[in-house]
Amino acid sequence: MGVYTLHHVGDQAILVEFEPEISIPVSRKVSALKQALEGCRIPGVGELVPTYRALLIHYDPLATDLDALLEAVDRCAKNPDLSKLPKAMVTEIPVLYEGEYALDLEEIAKIENKTVEEIIRIHSQSDYYVYMLGFAPGHPYTARMENPFSFKRRSEPRVKIPGGSIVVQLALSDIIPFDQPCGWNIIGTTPVLACDYRKANPFLLRAGQWIRHVPIDKPTFLEIKRQVELGEYRCRTYEKEA
Amino acid sequence: MGFVVEQPGILTTVQDEGRYGYEQFGMSPSGPMDLESFHIANLLVGNPKGESALELTIMGPTLRFTKANVVAVTGAPLSPKLNGESCPMNQAFSVSEGDELALGAVQGGCRAYVAFAGGLDVPEVMGSRTTALQNKVGGFQGRRLEKGDEIGFRAPAAALPHMERRRVERKVETAPVREIRVILGPQEDRFTKEGIDTFLSGTYTVTKDFNRMGCRLEGPVIAHKEDGNIISDGMVTGAIQVPTAGQPIIMLAERQTVGGYTKIATVISADLPSVGQCKAGDQIRFRAVEVAEAHRILREKARELEALTERINAPDPEAKAPRCYRATVNGLTFTITLTECDD
Repeated sequence: MGVYTLHHVGDQAILVEFEPEISIPVSRKVSALKQALEGCRIPGVGELVPTYRALLIHYDPLATDLDALLEAVDRCAKNPDLSKLPKAMVTEIPVLYEGEYALDLEEIAKIENKTVEEIIRIHSQSDYYVYMLGFAPGHPYTARMENPFSFKRRSEPRVKIPGGSIVVQLALSDIIPFDQPCGWNIIGTTPVLACDYRKANPFLLRAGQWIRHVPIDKPTFLEIKRQVELGEYRCRTYEKEA
Repeated sequence: MGFVVEQPGILTTVQDEGRYGYEQFGMSPSGPMDLESFHIANLLVGNPKGESALELTIMGPTLRFTKANVVAVTGAPLSPKLNGESCPMNQAFSVSEGDELALGAVQGGCRAYVAFAGGLDVPEVMGSRTTALQNKVGGFQGRRLEKGDEIGFRAPAAALPHMERRRVERKVETAPVREIRVILGPQEDRFTKEGIDTFLSGTYTVTKDFNRMGCRLEGPVIAHKEDGNIISDGMVTGAIQVPTAGQPIIMLAERQTVGGYTKIATVISADLPSVGQCKAGDQIRFRAVEVAEAHRILREKARELEALTERINAPDPEAKAPRCYRATVNGLTFTITLTECDD
């Protein structure tokens, strides 16, 4: 504990870094620092952006006492209080692992020397930690803690894959919110929207929570999709067991 | 209503100050590429400085008004024409229903702004009217303006008080070689000393890859100690990423919110407008300053804007009598006499 480094990021932000590793203990320090600084309510401090090992703190130089901010950062970052972090929540993401909705599933099974069913089981029987959001609005960077696949990216990225694609490599799994280019393998498709601008809070997920993929069949996929379009669908969310 | 787009120009979008508060969810703020010109355009037409306005790029649009209003054009120098007659930049003027405003092409610089009294009638998305082109959301249907689009005014004014005072003498930076001030970091320690020296002494040319997301530069290769990859962390507007190949990229309004490349330095806020006025072929030299210096420059800029607001809104335009103020500094009291200049 107590190890952090501080960098100025231009004249309107500072960056607090913890250990250079991608792990839940480090990520929880970032979350704890974010929570503690939010509690400090320092005038002029803007958005706090958590990433794997660092917290970016935006501030308005015309409204912030920088010394007071740095002092608060030092106090909170030296001893991130993990005990006050909210309980871990899990959001269920329904996934159709089938046909054109799972373009690379058979190839993945071949690479891993397993059946398609085994691959689906590996992908859907772990909880995935959401380290951060980024790249596109609502796009989560998630990983499971066990049973990594052996492959990384495809040799040739695709120019465009559809929003809703669930893409994987190693132990990582991302939800693609909108159509975009992508070099990862598509294991399935979810009918839920990671970002829905029609909603007051458009974003399905936030950093520090967990997700779990739940296999669904095609009729269920179409029914959920219909409800999503009407703005009526809510993903099941529950407290993660310790 | 407001105006119909007769010709859209190359890239014309609705912008306000930006969509803030959603970076932790992966959404960059977007907003004007030259915030200073944008603010001044709004102040000239009596708006709050962050009101929605148009940003145009290199070749501006032609607008036909369907409602009278007061407008102002700022930013990169243009020769705007109202019904074929020259009309001024950096000065508010009235337009009538049926008038046609042709903005034309920039003569140096890259982006200009057209503000309308009362702002534009596009819906707020997540608290902002700014267009995020990359995310296809906000502004006018989440996209650049096209021929035939019609945008309404929210609170137009056929005239405003003190029209003669709604002007400002200013020129945006359009020199072919710009000096851009930066604060080193956050990953300056991932570069060799030679790498940092190269960055601060070299001249970098804006490539054809410049847009609202970022500006790719080409010049002397900047040496890393190892490579240009980091564990992805948060990003700010003005961040200068240097991937392993050693060529810098300045991240701008529609940048991503996180990135996995080493960032050698960050452009100071006061110089971001100057970067926003760069286009392909322009050249940049970087100079490092300290954070305190950047804050001092920013405060000075803020004071200039306040002074402009006060000058426009001052109660009595005829008052030229000297004014006397008392100020106490460190226990000593001074009197300060201010006399308005004739200019």
